[in-house]
Amino acid sequence: MENRPLEYDYTVAKMFMFTTIVLGIVGMLIGVILAFQLAFPEVNTILGQGLAEYTNFSRLRPLHTDAVIFGFTLSGIFATWYYVGQRVLKVSMAESGFLMFIGKLHFWLYLVGVAAVVVTLFMGITTSKEYAEFEWPIDIAIVVVWVLFGISIFGLIGIRREKSLYISIWYYIATFLGIAMLYLFNNMEIPTMLAASPAGESGIGAWYHSVSMYAGTNDALVQWWYGHNAVAFGFTVPIVAMIYYFLPKESGQAIYSYKLSLLSFWGLMFVYLWAGGHHLIYSTVPDWMQTMGSIFSVILILPSWGSAINMLLTMKGEWQQVAASPLIKFMVLGSTFYMFSTLEGPIQAIKSVNAIAHFTDWIVGHVHDGVLGWVGFMIMAALYHMAPRVFKREIYSKSLMATQFWIQTLGVVLYFTSMWIAGITQGMMWRAHDEFGNLAYSFIDTVTVLHPYYTIRGVGGLLYLVGFLMFAYNIYKTMTVGRKVEESELQNASPMGA
Amino acid sequence: MNIAELQAYGYFALTVFMVLVLYGYIYHLYSKKEDADGHDYEEYSNIALRDDVTDTPVSAISDDKEK
Amino acid sequence: MFHWLEKHPFFFAVGVFVSIAFAGLIEIVPNFAQASRPVIGTAPYSTLELAGRHVYIKNSCNACHSQLIRPFKSETDRYGHYSLSGEYAYDRPFLWGSKRTGPDLMRVGNYRTTDWHENHMKEPQSVVPGSIMPAYTWMFKNTADINTAYAEQLTVAQFFAVPYNKEVPMKDGSTKIVKMGESVADANALALEEAKAIAADMKDQDVKDAVANGQIPEIVALIAYMNSLK
Repeated sequence: MENRPLEYDYTVAKMFMFTTIVLGIVGMLIGVILAFQLAFPEVNTILGQGLAEYTNFSRLRPLHTDAVIFGFTLSGIFATWYYVGQRVLKVSMAESGFLMFIGKLHFWLYLVGVAAVVVTLFMGITTSKEYAEFEWPIDIAIVVVWVLFGISIFGLIGIRREKSLYISIWYYIATFLGIAMLYLFNNMEIPTMLAASPAGESGIGAWYHSVSMYAGTNDALVQWWYGHNAVAFGFTVPIVAMIYYFLPKESGQAIYSYKLSLLSFWGLMFVYLWAGGHHLIYSTVPDWMQTMGSIFSVILILPSWGSAINMLLTMKGEWQQVAASPLIKFMVLGSTFYMFSTLEGPIQAIKSVNAIAHFTDWIVGHVHDGVLGWVGFMIMAALYHMAPRVFKREIYSKSLMATQFWIQTLGVVLYFTSMWIAGITQGMMWRAHDEFGNLAYSFIDTVTVLHPYYTIRGVGGLLYLVGFLMFAYNIYKTMTVGRKVEESELQNASPMGA
Repeated sequence: MNIAELQAYGYFALTVFMVLVLYGYIYHLYSKKEDADGHDYEEYSNIALRDDVTDTPVSAISDDKEK
Repeated sequence: MFHWLEKHPFFFAVGVFVSIAFAGLIEIVPNFAQASRPVIGTAPYSTLELAGRHVYIKNSCNACHSQLIRPFKSETDRYGHYSLSGEYAYDRPFLWGSKRTGPDLMRVGNYRTTDWHENHMKEPQSVVPGSIMPAYTWMFKNTADINTAYAEQLTVAQFFAVPYNKEVPMKDGSTKIVKMGESVADANALALEEAKAIAADMKDQDVKDAVANGQIPEIVALIAYMNSLK
């Protein structure tokens, strides 16, 4: 061995930071295009009639959700894992050639998977199930990527120096197990090329096509058990993992209560999975399941708020840091949005509220205050915190970061307020009857009325995208021209240039 | 007894059980304050704060091997 | 949990798995068999209808249109009888959707015609002024994939005992037989026969010519599917 002190090795973390930013831009850009397509349908043919098939709302919509979930968020989860994992287990990836190899393989296979997803979704090859649109060959690739992630997690844990697993590690493990279970069960499908005709032909039609193992109501049940919990284990659990590490580290404050974190972790694990039924209220699934989904959604407030309050109380006595550091601002507003959307979700899961909210833009608003305000803010904060440590350079510009914060906050507020109004307006108009008991509005009335809100939403989304581009620029400048920093400056608060 | 009735009883029993587990767990955490190894739970928060590769772990793996 | 699990990763992972798998076990398993029986009047999709369903999926129509009528007066007034579980028995995948940017399509076959769909898909605003739906002109040019639809029919007949070439009961007491081809050529011939009936009601000359030449444009398959939704 050469005589050099042991250091954490962030090679793989850097690779995933890169995809987080690139896929974030792609996903959000498509989102903004979609938002303007709803406000101004001409945008559907923005690249001309010839390419209309590929720039059309319906073709782009799965690309938006998947780019943001499996591109931006998942990359962010991987990037932070390859950073936080080493640090709280006190073991460097440089110590294991095997784990380093797995980590790199994980990244490259992930990239191949992303490319395959983009191409197939543009071509319209999809199973139609939300956030599980991929056909079986890609599903298999995704399973392999996921197994590699698992090997990384448990491999690193296997060679750790710190016996006790830190809170974040619990949440990363839960992410791994949760998504593995959900993804496998929801994507059970039979490739149609296996079938043979009575005349003896086989391998008929498209080789990649498959048919779901479940039919109708059952399929819906499994899909929303997946869909709801993909949100749980993609947008909640791993993001909680991030904040439990990055907020204490950046602020230099220990978690307010470790015991509360234990309680809310196990609470969240037990309760979350039951709530999937709230996507199917007033559908044809059995009534008791709908009620159960509704009740457990309300119970879910407890463990969610347990984590969020723990975060906010961590700042107790140190609130001046929120004013002083834009990085802390991102995290504190992130956990506030987490509280906000974990309260909003259960409200929408109440049957009588759901009757109005379901199928409307209010749901879209709910998703986005969670995703833009909580997931997006937290991942950007994590990358901002990691950048000086990974590149050994000061964050390029604090004022740019602060400007970005306010632009994006305004964007999120415009987004969810307009979608609330749009959703409730449309929900109420659908059900309105006149004095003779006839429907008061035709469907198209309830669409044209939304035009101003769709426009405001588009502007909100655009502001968020602009902020994200500022973030990308800031990180790029940090990488290239930021002032070099010493290890001693990296203890807690991240060094930032003016 | 049909399956629905069985489910209903099961559901009730489970609810009672879960409530007991939850409150028992909260009582345990806040009355004992220390885990089986004699560490105050709150000490583990420091894992995040003192996370340089050269920092001393809160409870090191190597402690086990010495025993 | 008592900080023993938190130091033993393997048992910790087992603990987490048990906690999260529990809900699925209780909620999903018991009603699985019950929920998949077809109601009377529900027949499997024909080859052309299934190809149309693939066009529907390919273009993510389900991103904006639901196929689930909830049991409220306002919904039954607007779309027809509320949905029953058994009506979805042959839907793999289900297409309930999660957002109604456009209206529900569960029973669109009851109140829209081939002609209406043709005009609407070509230029939605000409039929519904103020509509924000984009035009789907490429469906008039692209050819529908009948072979894949046929492969899917074979698969569901083989693995899930979907009753093709068998009598299924209808609401009026009669029975109906949905035919599935004996071979790829046979399946294509059956689909073309159905396509001709639809093309006869259409105005687009290119589509008519294509069908006359044995080609089935996507729009014809899609309309066959739309008309089957009742």
